[in-house]
Amino acid sequence: MKMSKKRDNMIAELTAELEPVRRFSSKTGLACLAAATIAASAISIAKYSFWFGMFEGDASAFFWLTNAMLLLLGAASAVGVVISGSPRVGSRGNAPEWGTAMLATLPLAAILTMVSGGHAHEGLEDPAAFHCVSSSLAAAGLVGIACVLWLRRGAPVSIERSAWLVGIASGSLGTAAFGVTCALDTVSHLGLWHTAPVAIAAVIGRLVVPPLIRW
Amino acid sequence: MVADEATLARLMAASQKGDKAAYNVLLSEAGMWLERYFRRRVPPHQLDDLVQDVLMAVHNKRSSWDPTRPFLPWLSAIARYRWVDHLRKVYKHEADLLEDGDAFEDSEEDVVEARVSLERLFVHLPAKQSEVIELVKIEGLSVREAAQKTGQSESLVKVNIHRGLKKLASLVEKAE
Repeated sequence: MKMSKKRDNMIAELTAELEPVRRFSSKTGLACLAAATIAASAISIAKYSFWFGMFEGDASAFFWLTNAMLLLLGAASAVGVVISGSPRVGSRGNAPEWGTAMLATLPLAAILTMVSGGHAHEGLEDPAAFHCVSSSLAAAGLVGIACVLWLRRGAPVSIERSAWLVGIASGSLGTAAFGVTCALDTVSHLGLWHTAPVAIAAVIGRLVVPPLIRW
Repeated sequence: MVADEATLARLMAASQKGDKAAYNVLLSEAGMWLERYFRRRVPPHQLDDLVQDVLMAVHNKRSSWDPTRPFLPWLSAIARYRWVDHLRKVYKHEADLLEDGDAFEDSEEDVVEARVSLERLFVHLPAKQSEVIELVKIEGLSVREAAQKTGQSESLVKVNIHRGLKKLASLVEKAE
């Protein structure tokens, strides 16, 4: 097989300009996203103060379950984001999909509880709803920026999937990061207004991220 | 003969550290591997440009290879990504390419081989989409001619080419 002269010249040029590069490491990527989540939480705490009641027996089981699910989904999708920064073929796993389905049971549980109890208006007229959704999305923005920067450094080859993962990872980690400041631990509040940011962030991620990570 | 996985991975690891001699060999070997990879995926007159495009991507994204993972799947994933991008670009610049008339300089055998390979991919597309992509992209018909031949309106031809290429891109992305 004979190479063209043009390709030969290009290889010579690329070789001449070769410089050492910092190698891609999944651990570094995960550390970056973890740092962004911690920073988002620290900013939320600085702004709204930490809810110590959770350690004093004031938090309902639903509070722990919701935030644990958010963290698990966030971790699964963050791993997905980090991995998608390095091109590969082979099994990529579907933990984020299952995690999302798992989290979707929360709003379902909230709606069923409200409807069957005849007090659906309570969840929908929640005065803290806007505050929780907007603050969670602000925290998600910080995590999302870290995800995008990581992907821009890497070479994602499944742009749409990566964009969804960025949205889901940032939405769930951002909401969990903000969640430590929220003392409202009812099924309706957590099930609706601490899961809505994940859905919103996922859609925003899908719409906004592709042009930012395409290469 | 193209180098094996272990050799390529070793060359890439050395290249990431800045070893120019290793990098030169790696790019040459990768170029030959890509040439074989693309031979059945693009018309022959586009082969060298696409190989160079991928080699450039390899250069720009060389830090994204994780040395704990095999090299060829990494190269293959980049090759597929650039291939889909290449298809989109070719479609966008259809008019310019058709004026070149390069396709007619290739041997009949090469053209047939490329065509068979592309048709294998078209199995995954709806007939209306694969038909117009084939007419415009392989046979070199204009959108108007393809519209007359298929009975589709010109805008529908454009839409079907666009959707077909998008679906193809999605298939390639998902093909793991």
